[in-house]
Amino acid sequence: MKQIDLNSLFSKKTVDFNDNEVFDIAVIGAGVVGCGIFKEFCENGAKTVLVEKANDILEGASKGNSAILHTGFDAPPNSLELDCIKKGYEEYLKIKKKLDLPFLNTKALVVAWSDEQEEKLEAILNKGLNNGVKELEIISNKELALKEPNLSKNAKAAIVVHGESLIDPWSTPLAYVKLGLQAGGKLAFSHEVKDGHFNGEYWEIKTSQKTIKAKTVINAAGLYGDIVDSIKGSKDFKIIPRKGQFIIFDKTAYNLINSIILPVPTKITKGVVITKTAFGNILVGPTAEDQESRTDSVTKKEMLKTLQDKAYDLLPALKGHNITATFAGLRPASDESHYRVMINDEKNWITVGGIRSTGLTSSLGLAKHVYELNDKKYTKPKKAKEPIEIQNITEFQTRDYETSDYGKIICHCECVTQREIQNALKSEIGAGTVGGLKRRTRVTMGRCQGFNCQASVAQICEESKS
Amino acid sequence: MNKVQIAIIGAGPAGLSTAIELSNMGYDDIVVFDREDEAGGTPRHCGHLGFGIFEFYRLLSGPDYAKKLTKIAADRNITINLKHTLVDISKDILTFSTTDGLVKYSAKRTVLALGARETPRSARLVSGIRSPNIMTTGALQRFIYLHNTIPFKNPVIVGSEVVSFSALMSSRKAGINIAAIIEEDKELNSFSILKSFSETILQTPVKLGYEISSINGDDKEVKSVTISKDGIDETIECDGVIFSGDFTPESALLQENFKDFNFANNSVFISQAFQTTNKNFFAVGNVLRGALTAFKCFFEGKRLAKFIDDSLKQEKLKPQHVKIEADENIQWYYPSLLDLNYPSKILTNLRVNKKTTGRIIVSVNDIDVYEKQIDAKTYTNIKIPREAYPVSKNDTIKIRLES
Repeated sequence: MKQIDLNSLFSKKTVDFNDNEVFDIAVIGAGVVGCGIFKEFCENGAKTVLVEKANDILEGASKGNSAILHTGFDAPPNSLELDCIKKGYEEYLKIKKKLDLPFLNTKALVVAWSDEQEEKLEAILNKGLNNGVKELEIISNKELALKEPNLSKNAKAAIVVHGESLIDPWSTPLAYVKLGLQAGGKLAFSHEVKDGHFNGEYWEIKTSQKTIKAKTVINAAGLYGDIVDSIKGSKDFKIIPRKGQFIIFDKTAYNLINSIILPVPTKITKGVVITKTAFGNILVGPTAEDQESRTDSVTKKEMLKTLQDKAYDLLPALKGHNITATFAGLRPASDESHYRVMINDEKNWITVGGIRSTGLTSSLGLAKHVYELNDKKYTKPKKAKEPIEIQNITEFQTRDYETSDYGKIICHCECVTQREIQNALKSEIGAGTVGGLKRRTRVTMGRCQGFNCQASVAQICEESKS
Repeated sequence: MNKVQIAIIGAGPAGLSTAIELSNMGYDDIVVFDREDEAGGTPRHCGHLGFGIFEFYRLLSGPDYAKKLTKIAADRNITINLKHTLVDISKDILTFSTTDGLVKYSAKRTVLALGARETPRSARLVSGIRSPNIMTTGALQRFIYLHNTIPFKNPVIVGSEVVSFSALMSSRKAGINIAAIIEEDKELNSFSILKSFSETILQTPVKLGYEISSINGDDKEVKSVTISKDGIDETIECDGVIFSGDFTPESALLQENFKDFNFANNSVFISQAFQTTNKNFFAVGNVLRGALTAFKCFFEGKRLAKFIDDSLKQEKLKPQHVKIEADENIQWYYPSLLDLNYPSKILTNLRVNKKTTGRIIVSVNDIDVYEKQIDAKTYTNIKIPREAYPVSKNDTIKIRLES
């Protein structure tokens, strides 16, 4: 019987620019930050190429996060991070309106589970107010019980953060790339950056495939940020990957909570969050485990059990609901906790590093900040009239299976249609990896994890490849 | 809104046999729905022999059995609506997603024959990498029997239920060499002769008492698994992992819609008449408890038909349900309601969670009324008889296991 290699169901993406092309900007790294920067520069008329070592976007740190649009209430005061979160949040609301992107304002509750934590609430509230986040209030455990009747009765009090919301962490950056492409940007996927040389006028970036020429390099290489940064000749920071493990509970649990349940943070981490997801599940996580490896994202049973127990403690009604998925993501934390954004004017090199856990929210704000740092004028292209197409895969808007003419449903758990899969596979920015297809459609991500549809999906991919 | 007398959700052995039997009884307003593009259910992708002996007195492969059942239904002019995915059952309205748009049905009686699936790696919390080559038996069988491809050459199988050996046989037939069968328990979760059969005839080692402690590899390629017994690790090279068995009912929609959900069974409560707590809804087959063989589901469907007939003929008859609860040592049990309207020889059927020598005790309102000595394995079917102790409507029946 013929063997099918499930790890190479997708052909390598090709580039459509020639070797002599000198770009204004090369963005290295197609994580959420890189995608946002790509969009910003393309829309402002810079000839921009997005260089990525994987065969799709979001293959590094950006693939695993908690999908929350943050207000910045707990961000470091007077920091670039806070500025970018706030600007990013606003920009998201604008783009969401324009593109009809999904958004659910669930609000967040910072819940104190001990007297000691309760004492800290006031300080958290004041920090939020100082950060310019106005809609905050402290509520008693009685009010909390009305808002969240399924939460453990051990809660002492909570802060309501009205602005915190849920978005789709995958379609959003995909939309940024599509907008960039529409404005004339180019992609170079499966191009791993190996080295570079600045000749005083432009960079020659050596990759695993082509050498790419660009006047300015923007390093948004995430987990590899420090390695790529050393190409410019100095090492200014060190990435210390921080692993976060997550558990996704079945959709049956979706209505157990209404808001994002946040813990009172410690110095190291924001702690374990319990939240609904845009896809109709309950997510619990992340853990925070510093490590050397930039690739090791294995899950650990003991850790997952601890997470599970923690979740049961805080939300006892979760018992009896199945676990749908477990995964681990790596956050590109650096040796200092703040964002590492800097420009080297002599070398035409901008570093955007150490964006550890707020990148999804801040990306558009960061993109604007980086554009201003670059301080160059380009000729703006004409605004495209054609709207870009974004498939809705969240539960906040109509899904394809609720319409008609979709062919058939392939993935029964997530109700993913044949048409959705085919759409996700076509076009320049179609899925280039198994993960990429999942992120565009949710296929095989449900409770059966492919028991029903993995073989059909593999066949569709094989057919579309040839 | 479409109206139908009897709607049956699921065209597997349980659903089809219910439909066929009802048709034999003279009912002609029956529609069977299935989300797949072919009727027959799980046997469609069980390419090995072992089906049909009790139903049709001949030995068939799964796909042939599925075809035969489907043909009988077609010969009876039973409507089977394929590519109909049930997405909602609230307010007793059945909403299906179809390529022609959402379609709604209202039925006098609805049969939920939704089937079961295996527990995937994620729900077992196994440590290690993520890879598309980590899958369930069901997924593998679909590769082999529905798509004629194999995803790997040398995987391990986790679990030792009957389905694990079905995975072994399917694999061999398709040219896949199984590196080992790994079972956490100290003995097989199926007939012990299968161990020597695997080891001597097929040369596949069966590792009993080993926990799979991690799946190793890089960049989504499985390279090996680490297994451990009594704190000592062992590594087995392999290129995939098949998680087999530990079936769980396909019951999420029911969990969302039935106020009274039986978490112990991960399914709805049903009486000996297969009736749920909603008197117009019945449930049958593997959605009640995870996987039993096709013929069990077939004969349950046949029995269910008579109860549906009864309930349609006696619209005014109100169910007299007494709830049966079981402790956590019971793997599953059904019926989970005792309907006092019906005489019954069996109170419930059950399996235990682990190999047990002990007693099953039944109590009514916390007074012990029955006990039975058992020496049972996890795959032993135990019948608990309904004896002559009095039970009335507001009582609670509890079943517990003492070892």
